[in-house]
Amino acid sequence: MDNLFKIKILKPGLFSSLQDLGRVGHQDAGIPFSGAMDKEAHKIANELLDNPHATPTIEMTLCGAELEFEGVGQIAITGADMNAKLNDKPMPMYQTIDIKSRDRLSFHRVESGCRTYLAARGEWSGTEWLSSFSTISNLLKVDGIPEQLQSNQSIEIRTSNFIEQRTYPKTARPIYTSSYILRVVTGPEFEQFSIDQIQSFFDKVFEVSADSNRMGYRLKGAIKDYKPLREEISSGIVEGTVQVTSAGEPIILAADAQTTGGYPRIANVVTEDLSIVAQMKAGDEVRFMLVGLADL
Amino acid sequence: MHIQPFGDKALLVSFEKKIDPEINQQVINLYHTLKASAKFTFLTPAYCSLTVGIDRSRFTINEATELIKELASQPPTNQSVYVREFTIPVCYEGDFAPDMHEVSEITGLDPKEIIALHKAQEFRVYMLGFVAGFAYLGTLPDQLACPRKKTPRKSVPQGSVGLAGHQTGIYPVNAPGGWQIIGQTPVQMFDTTREEPNLLFAGDKVKFRAISEDEFKLILLKEETGIYHTEAKHG
Repeated sequence: MDNLFKIKILKPGLFSSLQDLGRVGHQDAGIPFSGAMDKEAHKIANELLDNPHATPTIEMTLCGAELEFEGVGQIAITGADMNAKLNDKPMPMYQTIDIKSRDRLSFHRVESGCRTYLAARGEWSGTEWLSSFSTISNLLKVDGIPEQLQSNQSIEIRTSNFIEQRTYPKTARPIYTSSYILRVVTGPEFEQFSIDQIQSFFDKVFEVSADSNRMGYRLKGAIKDYKPLREEISSGIVEGTVQVTSAGEPIILAADAQTTGGYPRIANVVTEDLSIVAQMKAGDEVRFMLVGLADL
Repeated sequence: MHIQPFGDKALLVSFEKKIDPEINQQVINLYHTLKASAKFTFLTPAYCSLTVGIDRSRFTINEATELIKELASQPPTNQSVYVREFTIPVCYEGDFAPDMHEVSEITGLDPKEIIALHKAQEFRVYMLGFVAGFAYLGTLPDQLACPRKKTPRKSVPQGSVGLAGHQTGIYPVNAPGGWQIIGQTPVQMFDTTREEPNLLFAGDKVKFRAISEDEFKLILLKEETGIYHTEAKHG
Protein backbone atom coordinates (compact mmCIF):
# COMPACT_ATOMS: atom_id res chain seq x y z
CA MET A 1 0.00 0.00 0.00
CA ASP A 2 2.81 2.41 -0.74
CA ASN A 3 1.37 4.33 -3.64
CA LEU A 4 -0.97 7.21 -2.80
CA PHE A 5 -3.32 8.36 -5.55
CA LYS A 6 -5.68 11.30 -5.05
CA ILE A 7 -8.78 12.35 -6.96
CA LYS A 8 -9.51 16.03 -6.44
CA ILE A 9 -13.02 17.19 -7.35
CA LEU A 10 -12.72 20.52 -9.19
CA LYS A 11 -16.41 20.66 -10.09
CA PRO A 12 -18.80 17.97 -8.88
CA GLY A 13 -21.20 18.08 -11.84
CA LEU A 14 -24.99 17.90 -11.60
CA PHE A 15 -25.25 15.15 -8.98
CA SER A 16 -22.21 13.05 -8.17
CA SER A 17 -21.81 10.76 -5.19
CA LEU A 18 -19.70 7.93 -3.82
CA GLN A 19 -21.43 4.57 -4.16
CA ASP A 20 -20.68 0.94 -3.40
CA LEU A 21 -22.96 -2.06 -2.85
CA GLY A 22 -24.88 -0.25 -0.10
CA ARG A 23 -26.32 -1.36 3.24
CA VAL A 24 -28.14 -4.60 2.57
CA GLY A 25 -29.10 -6.11 5.94
CA HIS A 26 -30.17 -2.98 7.84
CA GLN A 27 -33.71 -2.76 6.49
CA ASP A 28 -35.18 -3.95 9.81
CA ALA A 29 -34.05 -0.54 11.13
CA GLY A 30 -35.78 1.23 8.24
CA ILE A 31 -32.44 2.04 6.59
CA PRO A 32 -32.53 2.18 2.75
CA PHE A 33 -30.47 -0.23 0.63
CA SER A 34 -28.44 2.63 -0.98
CA GLY A 35 -25.51 1.74 -3.24
CA ALA A 36 -24.84 2.20 -6.96
CA MET A 37 -28.00 2.56 -9.04
CA ASP A 38 -26.41 0.66 -11.96
CA LYS A 39 -24.67 -2.14 -10.05
CA GLU A 40 -23.60 -3.85 -13.25
CA ALA A 41 -21.70 -0.78 -14.51
CA HIS A 42 -20.26 -0.28 -11.01
CA LYS A 43 -19.03 -3.88 -10.87
CA ILE A 44 -17.55 -3.86 -14.39
CA ALA A 45 -15.63 -0.66 -13.63
CA ASN A 46 -14.09 -2.34 -10.58
CA GLU A 47 -13.39 -5.57 -12.48
CA LEU A 48 -11.42 -3.60 -15.08
CA LEU A 49 -9.09 -2.66 -12.21
CA ASP A 50 -9.17 -6.01 -10.39
CA ASN A 51 -10.89 -4.34 -7.41
CA PRO A 52 -13.42 -6.17 -5.21
CA HIS A 53 -17.03 -5.32 -6.23
CA ALA A 54 -17.59 -3.55 -2.92
CA THR A 55 -14.94 -0.90 -3.73
CA PRO A 56 -16.62 2.52 -4.12
CA THR A 57 -17.01 4.28 -7.45
CA ILE A 58 -18.02 7.84 -8.23
CA GLU A 59 -21.56 7.82 -9.64
CA MET A 60 -22.29 10.83 -11.87
CA THR A 61 -25.73 11.81 -13.12
CA LEU A 62 -26.59 13.43 -16.48
CA CYS A 63 -23.70 15.90 -16.41
CA GLY A 64 -20.40 14.77 -14.96
CA ALA A 65 -17.57 16.15 -12.86
CA GLU A 66 -14.21 17.80 -13.50
CA LEU A 67 -11.36 16.13 -11.69
CA GLU A 68 -7.63 16.41 -11.18
CA PHE A 69 -5.39 13.53 -10.12
CA GLU A 70 -2.39 13.60 -7.83
CA GLY A 71 0.10 10.75 -8.01
CA VAL A 72 -0.03 7.84 -10.43
CA GLY A 73 -2.97 5.49 -10.61
CA GLN A 74 -5.32 3.46 -12.75
CA ILE A 75 -8.95 4.25 -13.50
CA ALA A 76 -11.86 2.98 -15.60
CA ILE A 77 -15.18 4.49 -16.64
CA THR A 78 -18.40 2.63 -17.45
CA GLY A 79 -22.11 3.34 -17.84
CA ALA A 80 -23.43 6.35 -19.75
CA ASP A 81 -21.14 8.11 -22.23
CA MET A 82 -20.39 11.61 -20.89
CA ASN A 83 -17.73 12.44 -23.49
CA ALA A 84 -14.93 12.03 -20.99
CA LYS A 85 -11.77 13.95 -21.86
CA LEU A 86 -8.38 13.27 -20.33
CA ASN A 87 -6.25 16.41 -20.66
CA ASP A 88 -8.68 17.57 -23.37
CA LYS A 89 -8.32 14.37 -25.41
CA PRO A 90 -11.21 11.89 -25.71
CA MET A 91 -10.84 9.10 -23.17
CA PRO A 92 -12.07 5.60 -24.01
CA MET A 93 -14.62 3.92 -21.77
CA TYR A 94 -14.69 0.32 -20.50
CA GLN A 95 -10.93 -0.14 -20.21
CA THR A 96 -8.08 0.31 -17.74
CA ILE A 97 -6.44 3.72 -18.14
CA ASP A 98 -3.11 4.75 -16.61
CA ILE A 99 -3.06 8.18 -14.98
CA LYS A 100 -0.08 10.41 -14.20
CA SER A 101 0.08 13.17 -11.63
CA ARG A 102 -1.71 16.41 -12.62
CA ASP A 103 -3.81 14.69 -15.29
CA ARG A 104 -7.21 16.30 -15.64
CA LEU A 105 -10.38 14.41 -16.44
CA SER A 106 -13.59 16.14 -17.43
CA PHE A 107 -17.04 14.74 -18.05
CA HIS A 108 -19.79 16.52 -19.97
CA ARG A 109 -23.49 16.00 -20.68
CA VAL A 110 -24.60 12.42 -21.32
CA GLU A 111 -24.81 11.35 -24.95
CA SER A 112 -27.24 8.62 -23.95
CA GLY A 113 -28.14 6.93 -20.69
CA CYS A 114 -28.09 8.71 -17.33
CA ARG A 115 -25.33 7.53 -14.98
CA THR A 116 -21.56 7.14 -15.38
CA TYR A 117 -19.20 5.30 -13.00
CA LEU A 118 -15.58 6.17 -12.33
CA ALA A 119 -13.50 3.53 -10.57
CA ALA A 120 -9.88 3.73 -9.41
CA ARG A 121 -7.58 0.84 -8.55
CA GLY A 122 -6.87 0.34 -4.86
CA GLU A 123 -8.30 0.86 -1.41
CA TRP A 124 -10.38 3.99 -0.92
CA SER A 125 -10.29 5.87 2.34
CA GLY A 126 -13.14 7.96 3.69
CA THR A 127 -16.09 7.87 6.04
CA GLU A 128 -18.10 4.68 6.13
CA TRP A 129 -21.40 4.19 7.88
CA LEU A 130 -22.67 0.65 8.50
CA SER A 131 -19.80 -0.64 6.34
CA SER A 132 -20.69 1.45 3.29
CA PHE A 133 -19.34 4.62 1.69
CA SER A 134 -22.65 5.22 -0.10
CA THR A 135 -24.37 8.53 0.42
CA ILE A 136 -27.73 8.55 2.11
CA SER A 137 -30.88 10.31 0.97
CA ASN A 138 -31.13 13.95 1.99
CA LEU A 139 -33.27 13.18 5.05
CA LEU A 140 -30.53 11.43 6.90
CA LYS A 141 -27.34 13.26 7.78
CA VAL A 142 -24.18 11.35 8.62
CA ASP A 143 -21.09 13.35 9.56
CA GLY A 144 -18.43 12.95 6.89
CA ILE A 145 -20.81 11.63 4.22
CA PRO A 146 -22.18 14.56 2.23
CA GLU A 147 -25.17 13.78 0.03
CA GLN A 148 -23.18 14.88 -3.01
CA LEU A 149 -19.49 15.27 -3.73
CA GLN A 150 -18.28 18.83 -3.14
CA SER A 151 -15.84 21.06 -5.00
CA ASN A 152 -12.29 20.77 -3.63
CA GLN A 153 -13.06 17.47 -1.92
CA SER A 154 -10.18 14.99 -2.25
CA ILE A 155 -10.47 11.22 -2.25
CA GLU A 156 -7.41 9.17 -1.27
CA ILE A 157 -6.76 5.77 -2.78
CA ARG A 158 -3.88 3.47 -1.86
CA THR A 159 -2.45 0.77 -4.08
CA SER A 160 0.48 -1.62 -3.84
CA ASN A 161 0.71 -2.51 -7.53
CA PHE A 162 -0.74 -1.91 -10.96
CA ILE A 163 -2.29 -4.32 -13.42
CA GLU A 164 -2.08 -5.00 -17.14
CA GLN A 165 -4.63 -3.14 -19.19
CA ARG A 166 -8.06 -4.83 -19.37
CA THR A 167 -10.82 -4.11 -21.86
CA TYR A 168 -14.48 -5.00 -21.57
CA PRO A 169 -15.66 -6.47 -24.90
CA LYS A 170 -17.56 -4.01 -27.11
CA THR A 171 -20.24 -6.58 -27.86
CA ALA A 172 -21.03 -6.96 -24.15
CA ARG A 173 -21.38 -3.22 -23.49
CA PRO A 174 -24.91 -1.92 -22.95
CA ILE A 175 -26.55 0.32 -25.54
CA TYR A 176 -28.74 3.08 -24.20
CA THR A 177 -31.62 4.44 -26.23
CA SER A 178 -34.58 6.58 -25.21
CA SER A 179 -37.07 3.74 -25.24
CA TYR A 180 -36.86 0.70 -23.00
CA ILE A 181 -38.67 -2.53 -22.22
CA LEU A 182 -38.31 -3.68 -18.63
CA ARG A 183 -38.86 -7.30 -17.66
CA VAL A 184 -41.01 -7.70 -14.56
CA VAL A 185 -42.39 -10.52 -12.45
CA THR A 186 -45.79 -10.21 -10.78
CA GLY A 187 -45.85 -8.27 -7.51
CA PRO A 188 -47.56 -9.22 -4.23
CA GLU A 189 -50.75 -7.26 -5.03
CA PHE A 190 -50.88 -8.19 -8.75
CA GLU A 191 -54.13 -10.12 -8.33
CA GLN A 192 -55.93 -7.12 -6.85
CA PHE A 193 -55.82 -5.43 -10.24
CA SER A 194 -58.56 -6.14 -12.78
CA ILE A 195 -57.76 -7.78 -16.13
CA ASP A 196 -58.37 -4.42 -17.85
CA GLN A 197 -56.00 -2.63 -15.51
CA ILE A 198 -53.32 -5.29 -15.96
CA GLN A 199 -53.72 -5.12 -19.72
CA SER A 200 -53.41 -1.35 -19.60
CA PHE A 201 -50.24 -1.65 -17.46
CA PHE A 202 -48.54 -3.85 -20.05
CA ASP A 203 -50.01 -2.06 -23.08
CA LYS A 204 -49.07 1.46 -22.16
CA VAL A 205 -45.93 3.33 -23.07
CA PHE A 206 -45.08 5.31 -19.94
CA GLU A 207 -42.89 8.39 -19.88
CA VAL A 208 -40.19 8.88 -17.26
CA SER A 209 -41.10 11.96 -15.20
CA ALA A 210 -38.55 14.67 -14.37
CA ASP A 211 -39.48 13.98 -10.75
CA SER A 212 -37.28 10.84 -10.72
CA ASN A 213 -34.19 10.31 -8.61
CA ARG A 214 -32.23 7.73 -6.62
CA MET A 215 -35.33 7.04 -4.50
CA GLY A 216 -37.57 6.16 -7.39
CA TYR A 217 -38.67 6.64 -10.97
CA ARG A 218 -42.07 8.24 -11.36
CA LEU A 219 -43.81 7.38 -14.61
CA LYS A 220 -46.33 9.56 -16.45
CA GLY A 221 -49.43 7.89 -17.81
CA ALA A 222 -52.09 6.38 -15.57
CA ILE A 223 -53.37 2.82 -15.71
CA LYS A 224 -56.86 2.86 -17.25
CA ASP A 225 -59.80 3.28 -14.86
CA TYR A 226 -57.69 2.84 -11.78
CA LYS A 227 -59.28 3.40 -8.40
CA PRO A 228 -57.50 2.21 -5.25
CA LEU A 229 -59.48 -0.55 -3.54
CA ARG A 230 -58.55 0.41 -0.01
CA GLU A 231 -55.57 1.69 1.90
CA GLU A 232 -52.93 -1.04 1.96
CA ILE A 233 -51.29 -2.02 5.23
CA SER A 234 -47.64 -0.93 4.89
CA SER A 235 -45.31 -3.72 3.85
CA GLY A 236 -41.74 -4.21 2.58
CA ILE A 237 -40.25 -2.80 -0.59
CA VAL A 238 -37.29 -4.11 -2.57
CA GLU A 239 -35.30 -2.48 -5.36
CA GLY A 240 -37.37 -2.59 -8.53
CA THR A 241 -40.77 -2.81 -6.82
CA VAL A 242 -43.39 -1.14 -9.03
CA GLN A 243 -46.04 0.56 -6.91
CA VAL A 244 -49.19 2.15 -8.27
CA THR A 245 -50.13 5.49 -6.70
CA SER A 246 -53.73 6.47 -5.96
CA ALA A 247 -53.72 8.37 -9.28
CA GLY A 248 -52.88 5.11 -11.08
CA GLU A 249 -49.33 6.09 -11.98
CA PRO A 250 -46.53 3.55 -11.52
CA ILE A 251 -43.40 4.32 -9.49
CA ILE A 252 -40.32 2.09 -9.84
CA LEU A 253 -38.55 2.10 -6.50
CA ALA A 254 -34.78 2.46 -6.59
CA ALA A 255 -31.70 2.23 -4.36
CA ASP A 256 -32.55 5.03 -1.90
CA ALA A 257 -36.26 4.19 -1.57
CA GLN A 258 -37.85 3.85 1.84
CA THR A 259 -37.97 0.26 3.12
CA THR A 260 -41.75 -0.01 3.39
CA GLY A 261 -44.70 1.43 1.52
CA GLY A 262 -48.46 1.46 1.41
CA TYR A 263 -49.30 1.46 -2.31
CA PRO A 264 -50.20 -1.80 -4.08
CA ARG A 265 -47.18 -3.52 -5.61
CA ILE A 266 -48.23 -4.60 -9.08
CA ALA A 267 -44.88 -5.90 -10.33
CA ASN A 268 -41.16 -6.12 -9.71
CA VAL A 269 -38.43 -5.31 -12.22
CA VAL A 270 -36.02 -8.25 -12.51
CA THR A 271 -32.57 -7.65 -11.00
CA GLU A 272 -30.75 -7.70 -14.33
CA ASP A 273 -32.96 -4.90 -15.68
CA LEU A 274 -32.37 -2.60 -12.69
CA SER A 275 -29.24 -1.51 -14.55
CA ILE A 276 -31.52 -0.31 -17.36
CA VAL A 277 -33.75 1.56 -14.89
CA ALA A 278 -30.64 3.35 -13.58
CA GLN A 279 -29.88 4.60 -17.09
CA MET A 280 -33.38 5.97 -17.85
CA LYS A 281 -33.86 9.72 -17.77
CA ALA A 282 -36.74 12.20 -17.89
CA GLY A 283 -38.64 11.96 -21.17
CA ASP A 284 -37.57 8.38 -21.97
CA GLU A 285 -40.26 5.89 -22.87
CA VAL A 286 -40.74 2.67 -20.96
CA ARG A 287 -42.92 -0.42 -21.27
CA PHE A 288 -43.21 -3.46 -19.06
CA MET A 289 -43.00 -7.08 -20.14
CA LEU A 290 -44.15 -9.91 -17.90
CA VAL A 291 -41.78 -12.84 -17.44
CA GLY A 292 -41.97 -15.87 -15.17
CA LEU A 293 -39.44 -16.47 -12.42
CA ALA A 294 -38.57 -19.76 -14.12
CA ASP A 295 -37.36 -17.82 -17.19
CA LEU A 296 -34.68 -16.02 -15.20
CA MET B 1 -48.54 -18.00 6.81
CA HIS B 2 -48.21 -17.59 3.06
CA ILE B 3 -44.86 -17.39 1.25
CA GLN B 4 -44.55 -15.95 -2.25
CA PRO B 5 -41.68 -14.71 -4.43
CA PHE B 6 -41.13 -10.94 -4.24
CA GLY B 7 -39.02 -9.96 -7.23
CA ASP B 8 -36.27 -12.44 -8.08
CA LYS B 9 -34.19 -12.18 -4.91
CA ALA B 10 -36.67 -11.87 -2.05
CA LEU B 11 -39.66 -13.65 -0.58
CA LEU B 12 -42.70 -12.10 1.05
CA VAL B 13 -44.10 -13.97 4.04
CA SER B 14 -47.66 -12.77 4.67
CA PHE B 15 -49.84 -13.34 7.68
CA GLU B 16 -53.52 -12.42 8.06
CA LYS B 17 -53.96 -8.91 6.59
CA LYS B 18 -54.80 -7.09 9.79
CA ILE B 19 -53.21 -4.62 12.18
CA ASP B 20 -53.27 -6.75 15.28
CA PRO B 21 -50.72 -7.27 18.09
CA GLU B 22 -50.88 -11.07 17.93
CA ILE B 23 -50.41 -11.21 14.17
CA ASN B 24 -47.55 -8.70 14.42
CA GLN B 25 -45.98 -10.89 17.15
CA GLN B 26 -45.95 -13.81 14.68
CA VAL B 27 -44.05 -11.55 12.25
CA ILE B 28 -41.58 -10.56 14.97
CA ASN B 29 -41.07 -14.18 16.09
CA LEU B 30 -40.30 -15.28 12.54
CA TYR B 31 -38.05 -12.22 12.07
CA HIS B 32 -35.96 -13.21 15.12
CA THR B 33 -35.80 -16.86 14.05
CA LEU B 34 -34.66 -15.99 10.51
CA LYS B 35 -32.25 -13.38 11.79
CA ALA B 36 -30.66 -15.92 14.17
CA SER B 37 -30.23 -18.37 11.27
CA ALA B 38 -28.02 -15.80 9.45
CA LYS B 39 -29.03 -17.36 6.12
CA PHE B 40 -30.77 -14.34 4.58
CA THR B 41 -29.43 -11.08 3.14
CA PHE B 42 -31.97 -8.73 4.75
CA LEU B 43 -35.25 -8.82 6.70
CA THR B 44 -37.96 -6.15 6.65
CA PRO B 45 -40.65 -6.85 9.25
CA ALA B 46 -43.91 -4.90 8.79
CA TYR B 47 -47.41 -4.98 10.38
CA CYS B 48 -48.41 -8.41 9.06
CA SER B 49 -45.65 -9.36 6.62
CA LEU B 50 -41.95 -10.09 6.54
CA THR B 51 -39.79 -9.43 3.47
CA VAL B 52 -36.86 -11.84 3.33
CA GLY B 53 -33.79 -11.19 1.13
CA ILE B 54 -32.35 -14.21 -0.65
CA ASP B 55 -28.77 -14.67 -1.81
CA ARG B 56 -29.46 -16.34 -5.15
CA SER B 57 -25.93 -17.72 -5.31
CA ARG B 58 -26.80 -19.79 -2.20
CA PHE B 59 -30.47 -20.70 -2.63
CA THR B 60 -33.09 -21.03 -5.32
CA ILE B 61 -36.45 -19.41 -4.56
CA ASN B 62 -37.88 -22.87 -3.82
CA GLU B 63 -35.04 -23.84 -1.50
CA ALA B 64 -35.42 -20.55 0.39
CA THR B 65 -39.18 -21.09 0.69
CA GLU B 66 -38.64 -24.57 2.17
CA LEU B 67 -35.97 -23.23 4.52
CA ILE B 68 -38.32 -20.53 5.87
CA LYS B 69 -41.06 -23.12 6.41
CA GLU B 70 -38.65 -25.36 8.28
CA LEU B 71 -37.30 -22.53 10.45
CA ALA B 72 -40.83 -21.23 11.13
CA SER B 73 -41.87 -24.59 12.57
CA GLN B 74 -39.21 -24.30 15.28
CA PRO B 75 -40.06 -22.73 18.67
CA PRO B 76 -39.45 -18.94 18.91
CA THR B 77 -35.94 -17.80 19.86
CA ASN B 78 -35.17 -16.16 23.20
CA GLN B 79 -34.92 -12.83 21.40
CA SER B 80 -38.61 -12.72 20.57
CA VAL B 81 -39.68 -13.64 24.09
CA TYR B 82 -37.53 -10.84 25.50
CA VAL B 83 -39.63 -7.65 25.56
CA ARG B 84 -38.06 -4.22 25.81
CA GLU B 85 -40.17 -1.50 27.43
CA PHE B 86 -39.34 2.16 26.93
CA THR B 87 -40.69 5.33 28.47
CA ILE B 88 -40.35 8.28 26.12
CA PRO B 89 -40.62 11.78 27.67
CA VAL B 90 -42.74 14.14 25.56
CA CYS B 91 -43.45 17.85 25.93
CA TYR B 92 -47.04 18.36 24.76
CA GLU B 93 -46.92 22.15 25.20
CA GLY B 94 -46.76 25.28 23.03
CA ASP B 95 -44.65 25.19 19.87
CA PHE B 96 -43.89 21.50 20.42
CA ALA B 97 -47.54 20.72 19.68
CA PRO B 98 -48.49 22.73 16.56
CA ASP B 99 -51.52 20.53 15.76
CA MET B 100 -52.96 20.21 19.27
CA HIS B 101 -55.72 22.67 18.36
CA GLU B 102 -56.62 20.83 15.13
CA VAL B 103 -56.63 17.44 16.88
CA SER B 104 -58.82 18.97 19.57
CA GLU B 105 -61.31 20.13 16.91
CA ILE B 106 -61.31 16.77 15.11
CA THR B 107 -61.66 14.61 18.21
CA GLY B 108 -63.81 16.94 20.31
CA LEU B 109 -61.41 16.39 23.21
CA ASP B 110 -59.59 19.18 25.03
CA PRO B 111 -55.76 19.09 25.10
CA LYS B 112 -55.70 17.74 28.68
CA GLU B 113 -57.84 14.76 27.64
CA ILE B 114 -55.73 14.19 24.52
CA ILE B 115 -52.51 14.11 26.56
CA ALA B 116 -54.08 11.90 29.23
CA LEU B 117 -55.20 9.37 26.60
CA HIS B 118 -51.87 9.44 24.76
CA LYS B 119 -49.81 8.74 27.87
CA ALA B 120 -52.22 6.31 29.50
CA GLN B 121 -51.58 3.42 27.21
CA GLU B 122 -48.67 1.15 26.43
CA PHE B 123 -48.06 1.09 22.68
CA ARG B 124 -46.48 -1.55 20.53
CA VAL B 125 -43.82 -0.85 17.88
CA TYR B 126 -45.38 -2.61 14.90
CA MET B 127 -42.70 -1.79 12.37
CA LEU B 128 -40.05 0.68 11.22
CA GLY B 129 -40.13 2.42 7.88
CA PHE B 130 -40.80 5.67 6.02
CA VAL B 131 -37.42 7.10 7.07
CA ALA B 132 -34.60 5.38 8.93
CA GLY B 133 -35.67 4.72 12.49
CA PHE B 134 -39.31 5.85 12.15
CA ALA B 135 -41.35 3.62 14.48
CA TYR B 136 -45.04 3.02 13.80
CA LEU B 137 -46.78 2.65 17.17
CA GLY B 138 -50.28 1.43 17.78
CA THR B 139 -53.01 1.20 18.49
CA LEU B 140 -54.59 4.55 19.39
CA PRO B 141 -58.02 4.43 21.05
CA ASP B 142 -60.87 5.36 18.66
CA GLN B 143 -61.42 8.68 20.46
CA LEU B 144 -57.89 9.79 19.53
CA ALA B 145 -57.83 8.52 15.95
CA CYS B 146 -57.58 11.36 13.43
CA PRO B 147 -56.76 11.71 9.72
CA ARG B 148 -53.44 12.99 8.42
CA LYS B 149 -53.17 16.71 7.64
CA LYS B 150 -54.65 17.67 4.27
CA THR B 151 -51.42 19.34 3.23
CA PRO B 152 -48.31 17.61 4.56
CA ARG B 153 -45.60 19.79 6.08
CA LYS B 154 -42.38 20.21 4.08
CA SER B 155 -40.38 19.58 7.21
CA VAL B 156 -41.45 18.18 10.56
CA PRO B 157 -38.79 18.68 13.27
CA GLN B 158 -36.87 15.72 14.65
CA GLY B 159 -38.49 14.25 17.77
CA SER B 160 -42.02 15.34 16.82
CA VAL B 161 -44.72 13.00 18.08
CA GLY B 162 -47.63 12.65 15.69
CA LEU B 163 -50.95 10.95 15.13
CA ALA B 164 -52.23 9.40 11.89
CA GLY B 165 -55.29 7.18 11.80
CA HIS B 166 -54.98 4.76 14.71
CA GLN B 167 -51.19 5.12 14.77
CA THR B 168 -48.80 7.32 16.66
CA GLY B 169 -45.16 7.84 15.73
CA ILE B 170 -41.99 9.79 16.45
CA TYR B 171 -40.01 11.55 13.70
CA PRO B 172 -36.40 10.37 14.13
CA VAL B 173 -35.02 13.06 11.79
CA ASN B 174 -36.36 16.23 10.18
CA ALA B 175 -38.62 14.93 7.44
CA PRO B 176 -41.65 15.96 5.40
CA GLY B 177 -44.90 14.51 6.66
CA GLY B 178 -48.60 14.84 7.30
CA TRP B 179 -48.95 13.43 10.80
CA GLN B 180 -50.78 15.61 13.34
CA ILE B 181 -48.07 16.79 15.71
CA ILE B 182 -49.11 16.90 19.39
CA GLY B 183 -45.73 16.97 21.10
CA GLN B 184 -41.98 16.53 20.83
CA THR B 185 -39.42 14.34 22.58
CA PRO B 186 -35.86 15.49 23.28
CA VAL B 187 -34.71 11.85 23.08
CA GLN B 188 -32.55 10.90 20.07
CA MET B 189 -34.60 8.17 18.43
CA PHE B 190 -31.97 7.67 15.77
CA ASP B 191 -28.30 8.56 15.96
CA THR B 192 -25.84 7.55 13.27
CA THR B 193 -22.92 7.78 15.69
CA ARG B 194 -24.36 4.97 17.85
CA GLU B 195 -23.40 1.38 17.10
CA GLU B 196 -27.12 0.58 16.98
CA PRO B 197 -28.51 3.80 15.46
CA ASN B 198 -32.15 2.95 16.27
CA LEU B 199 -33.60 3.26 19.74
CA LEU B 200 -36.75 1.28 18.91
CA PHE B 201 -37.25 -1.99 17.04
CA ALA B 202 -40.40 -3.80 15.98
CA GLY B 203 -41.87 -5.66 18.96
CA ASP B 204 -40.77 -3.10 21.58
CA LYS B 205 -43.29 -1.55 23.99
CA VAL B 206 -43.49 2.22 24.48
CA LYS B 207 -45.17 4.50 27.02
CA PHE B 208 -45.14 8.28 26.86
CA ARG B 209 -44.50 10.54 29.86
CA ALA B 210 -45.50 14.23 29.86
CA ILE B 211 -42.67 16.66 30.62
CA SER B 212 -42.39 20.43 30.96
CA GLU B 213 -40.42 22.69 28.61
CA ASP B 214 -37.72 22.94 31.27
CA GLU B 215 -37.34 19.19 31.53
CA PHE B 216 -37.28 19.00 27.72
CA LYS B 217 -34.31 21.39 27.68
CA LEU B 218 -32.55 19.47 30.44
CA ILE B 219 -32.93 16.09 28.67
CA LEU B 220 -31.85 17.68 25.37
CA LEU B 221 -28.71 18.98 27.07
CA LYS B 222 -28.03 15.53 28.51
CA GLU B 223 -28.51 13.97 25.06
CA GLU B 224 -26.13 16.47 23.49
CA THR B 225 -23.46 15.79 26.08
CA GLY B 226 -23.98 12.03 25.92
CA ILE B 227 -25.05 11.54 29.53
CA TYR B 228 -28.75 10.79 28.95
CA HIS B 229 -29.93 7.31 29.91
CA THR B 230 -32.97 5.97 28.12
CA GLU B 231 -35.81 5.11 30.47
CA ALA B 232 -36.10 1.42 29.70
CA LYS B 233 -36.95 -1.91 31.25
CA HIS B 234 -35.82 -5.18 29.76
CA GLY B 235 -37.16 -8.57 30.56
